[in-house]
Amino acid sequence: MSRKDFQHLDDEALLDFYHSTRNIKAFRLLYGRYKDCLYRYCAQMNHTHANPILEELWFSVLEHPPVLNGRVFRSWLFIKLDKMLRQHAAFDGEQHGEPATREEAPGPLLGAIQKLSRRQRNILLLHMECQLPLATVADIECLSLKACREQYIAGKEQLRELLYGPRRQPWRVEEVTA
Amino acid sequence: MSTWEENYRQAASIMVSPEALDERILQQARTFRPPPGHSRIVSGTAGSFAAIAVLVLLIHPAQYLGALTPGGAADARHDPLNDWQLKREKPITVTRDPWVRLRSEIRSGNYVSLCEQWRKEQRGHAEKSLPRDLAKEARAHCRLLPQP
Repeated sequence: MSRKDFQHLDDEALLDFYHSTRNIKAFRLLYGRYKDCLYRYCAQMNHTHANPILEELWFSVLEHPPVLNGRVFRSWLFIKLDKMLRQHAAFDGEQHGEPATREEAPGPLLGAIQKLSRRQRNILLLHMECQLPLATVADIECLSLKACREQYIAGKEQLRELLYGPRRQPWRVEEVTA
Repeated sequence: MSTWEENYRQAASIMVSPEALDERILQQARTFRPPPGHSRIVSGTAGSFAAIAVLVLLIHPAQYLGALTPGGAADARHDPLNDWQLKREKPITVTRDPWVRLRSEIRSGNYVSLCEQWRKEQRGHAEKSLPRDLAKEARAHCRLLPQP
């Protein structure tokens, strides 16, 4: 296979190719496809430990070919990352007794996302940033698809409220209703 | 919905994976060497050696030595076909049959000398014993006369 051929491979084939040849360029290509997306998700979920977590994740990909079991590599990556984030969150919870301190996010929108509950943030980010289908997100969060969709909509609603204030209410006079 | 996601993408686009992290991960990736034995260089050298061997076989001057030999100067003045001759066959040596006279007599129906010979043999005076076919004839046609 020549150098330029693997440019057109999809992720799974590229991963196979990398693990059979250990071609650093193939890995760099694969890494380039996911690094920003992964970093954004990871940093918004756990800013303090983003770097070591990502390092650990990529090292596990490098060391052994991941067992995909028919899943897409993209899904596998985010499922694994979510698991690792959960472990870290549990560990932090044991240590400090409170969720990890949230960094000051650049921009009001990202700041507002930081103020959401962990589950809503996770659902919102997995669907928007990582572009996973809601069904996969529901599997990750162990929810039904309906509940997951409700959480997603509720999260967006809350975000809007945080950014622009509460939704306009119909003006009412108490005397009229009384 | 779409404007909302666009807003998010714009806001998030400033967050990119830090260079230090990339460097560290690629450094880790460089520590994994390709598996030994499965090397493209080896097969490349083997292929080029094979190609050179084929070329040498094709261009080698010894290929054409045999083709040049018949036109040599030594053979031009002495044509081996000039003194060619058919090999004479050796004459077939026939061993003479010592019983030919006896046989011709039998063929003409004269058994006297055969029976004489036969009797001699029976009595133990004969120098040569009759061959098998003549003995058979003799047994069929001769009597053993009483000894005088």
